[in-house]
Amino acid sequence: MSLAMHVPILAIAVPLLGAFALPLMAKVHHRLRDLWALVVGAFTVAMIVTLAVQVFTVGVQVYTLGADTPDATLGPQGFPIRITLVADAMGAFMALISALLGGAALIYALGFLEESKGKTLSMSLFLLLWAGMLGLKLTGDMFNFFVFLELTSVAACGLIGYRAWESRPPEAAFKTLVMFILGGLMVLLAVAILYGEYGALNMAFLSAQIGGSLLDRVALGLLLGGLLMKAGAVPMHMWAPDAYGEADANTAIVLVANTQAGLYALFRVVFTLYGGAATPEVGYLVTTLGALTVLVAVLMAVVQTNLGRLVAYGAISQIGYMLLAAGVGLVTLGVGPEFGRVALQGGVFHMFNDAACIGLLFLCVGAVRRAAGSGDLRSLGGLAHTEKWTSGFFLLGALALAGIPPLNGFASKLMIYQSVFQLSPILTALAVLASILLLAVFVRAFQGAFLGPRQSMSGAPLSPAMLAGMAVLAVVVIAFGLVPDLVVRHLVAPAAEALWTGRDVYLAAVLGG
Amino acid sequence: MNLLTGEGFWSPLVWLALAVGVALLAWWLRSKGRQDYKRGTEQATPFLSGEPMPEGVHVGGQHLYWGFVEALRPVVDRLRAFHSGVVTDYVTWLVVMLAVVFLVVMLS
Repeated sequence: MSLAMHVPILAIAVPLLGAFALPLMAKVHHRLRDLWALVVGAFTVAMIVTLAVQVFTVGVQVYTLGADTPDATLGPQGFPIRITLVADAMGAFMALISALLGGAALIYALGFLEESKGKTLSMSLFLLLWAGMLGLKLTGDMFNFFVFLELTSVAACGLIGYRAWESRPPEAAFKTLVMFILGGLMVLLAVAILYGEYGALNMAFLSAQIGGSLLDRVALGLLLGGLLMKAGAVPMHMWAPDAYGEADANTAIVLVANTQAGLYALFRVVFTLYGGAATPEVGYLVTTLGALTVLVAVLMAVVQTNLGRLVAYGAISQIGYMLLAAGVGLVTLGVGPEFGRVALQGGVFHMFNDAACIGLLFLCVGAVRRAAGSGDLRSLGGLAHTEKWTSGFFLLGALALAGIPPLNGFASKLMIYQSVFQLSPILTALAVLASILLLAVFVRAFQGAFLGPRQSMSGAPLSPAMLAGMAVLAVVVIAFGLVPDLVVRHLVAPAAEALWTGRDVYLAAVLGG
Repeated sequence: MNLLTGEGFWSPLVWLALAVGVALLAWWLRSKGRQDYKRGTEQATPFLSGEPMPEGVHVGGQHLYWGFVEALRPVVDRLRAFHSGVVTDYVTWLVVMLAVVFLVVMLS
């Protein structure tokens, strides 16, 4: 039996075990800890890439824990009783996003975090969060869906608030924890309802059974409520600027990946679990929340004077674009017009693009705080004189986020605009207006922080690891902008298709037939 | 190498070629301008109604688009009040939205 067969479980187990072993390595020597983190990170990324190659070339990968062979999903009674991991194109695509952000965050963290300020704790929690996100994206049963959701919540809150010697991070962590616990409880109640109704937890089995009964709809309502909050949809988004704004830069970009994991969980529920029973009204709800999220977040970004919170609202606004596109996909799911497919592709593509450019911006915020000792736009200025690389990276990320051609954000936003226009020109007009406002917001931030005469700074110089972390994301922003057709054809289209028409393939891979 | 968007296409390489062409044209036009400009001399200082240029002046980030932000202030002030930072308010909105979601799901 080759190692390649066990890739799905290794992608989760390696960072999980690596997280618990990391403090032991730190006891021996801090350099051994850093080396361990790098080895674990490199192995995790390699596993994710291998899994993605398998999925995009062969098809859906199923892994059953405790079975004689990993593909034996059904028990002796022909019933899916064991824990299964299922990687379809959408799951693999999301795993690639977490590989990109996780890899960049790890490299950056090695140069950014300070020994005396909880570096070991932060890196352990980061690996734990990475494992949780991967588990959420690859799990094929509802109970582990909840378990991994909770794992991401606990690790994320720990990462936000571990700096207990400061006042604001623990407060932000507490607020986030309250919201995540409530959202988690909603998901747990929904899982309990589905288990009580069908006596099973396997997603494929449940998907085949769900027909839209009253209990099914109660469970859907609970799942939507919990996961929309986790994804940061307005008006349940208010934990997000607190969390993003107070977290370290390397943590903030993993929180972006975590928010996207929540969005993925929402997509998995509405397109796969309830694919046959989701109604257009649910799609209209998601579309409305998407439009609201885009507008409210951008308007709030306009008045921010803290660079971290400004980028945080920018990140929330991008979640709105993804919800908008997914909502159009849901509205048209039963009818199947081409613009619904393009909308979904645009939304899925925007997830990767947003991960790269908003991740780059958060890393730049960390670099600004390190160099200037502050993230307050009222006191910053002239950083471009000394921080040339950071200035360039920030400008690149901001332009990409605002959708300026030929960067990656433009390609996915164009797909979203043109497809959403078919459903409602007003929604497209709002989305374009929000993009223009976002450009104004980031021009203002760039002018305030980087331009102007040179100022005396109280911060420390940037390390090569921090620049390397930013460079990784900058390369993706440029490359995905220059060859969007290749990315869409080979990665995005299969991932969107897994949601759009891939439910039967998913069910067949797990249940046979 | 075109990205199909359903209603049209997007070709970043063609766009880049055009952008390079426009940049070259702009550079050519600029090169036709005055040749007596010199960096670092008095020519490079801004004209402030004849007043001397103060040292270290920087228009901070909060001042840019001042009028634009002021025009939006009535809307933004309401939104800021809505972002109270109080966790019980966060929970209230979660409960309100859960009710809305249930209404949509149950009536659909």
